Amino acid sequence: MTPLSRRAFATAAMACVLMGCAGHPNHRATTAPAVSTPPPPHAAARAVHPLGRSVPVGLRIPAIGVDTPVMQLGLAPDGSVQVPPIQADDRAGWYRQSPTPGQVGPSVLLGHVTVGAYGDGVFRHLARLHRGDRIVVRLENGTSAVFTVGDVRTVAKTDFPAQDVYGDVNRPELRLITCGGPRSGDGYLDNVIVFATLSSAAP
Amino acid sequence: MRRTVLSALALGSTIVLAGTVPAFADGPSPVPSTRPGAAAPAGPSPVPATRSSAPSAVPSAAPTRANGRGQVSVVPKGAPDTGVTAVSSSSGSEGGLIGGGAAAALVAGGAAVFVVRRRRATGA
Repeated sequence: MTPLSRRAFATAAMACVLMGCAGHPNHRATTAPAVSTPPPPHAAARAVHPLGRSVPVGLRIPAIGVDTPVMQLGLAPDGSVQVPPIQADDRAGWYRQSPTPGQVGPSVLLGHVTVGAYGDGVFRHLARLHRGDRIVVRLENGTSAVFTVGDVRTVAKTDFPAQDVYGDVNRPELRLITCGGPRSGDGYLDNVIVFATLSSAAP
Repeated sequence: MRRTVLSALALGSTIVLAGTVPAFADGPSPVPSTRPGAAAPAGPSPVPATRSSAPSAVPSAAPTRANGRGQVSVVPKGAPDTGVTAVSSSSGSEGGLIGGGAAAALVAGGAAVFVVRRRRATGA
């Protein structure tokens, strides 16, 4: 009995010591990811400082050959956003109830994909943009805000993601909107939305 | 027997206690010991850094919120209508052109037939 109890005691003691040792790595393993997760938002937040308010006057998207003046747009009588006029050499428009490009928040620019009998609109090839493409917005104060495309989405007009487009964000962002998808009557069933974030500012 | 059992129990509990005490001491101790070197700022930083960035984001976003509204002060209704198809707008004018052309051809043909018949009638 005595040798048995000694063995049991020794085994219990070893088990206790081993359990005590084994407990700590788990602790580190759980804390490690918590430490590693914060850096991405830090890096994103440090990337660029927001710009002051200045109305956009020009838009250049080298990847799809866009270089256009920018007009200002408000609200239509029915509460929808105004769109640039249907004309030859149409241009893009900035929704003036949204932040100016470079300010914190979603700055919204719109343009036509096609302008009826006049043919292609200024945003004809917007859906061809890819993640990482550059968008340069010239501002009234002579500076330029450079954005980088993060996402390009084609969404049904009946399911327009108003919150994603107009909702508050914690950094300077840009939305380019046009129509796309299947045609219906004299219009389109979908919207093409480009989501971009401020990557730099140039004088 | 009893002595051995009792002494075993006493020793076991001391070991358990000894094992737990380092565990308590070890919990905080690796934190400063590993973090001062590698992640000393990271230890405090996840909490204050996210908080410091959170307040910085809130005040910076706040100025754009006019009168407590969102960054987009008036959210438009519905989806933007940013495309007029060429088919519909031009189909009207093209249809008119085709119709007009066909009508003109019919009128011209009728007139020619009428003239030819008239000439034949007068000639005979």
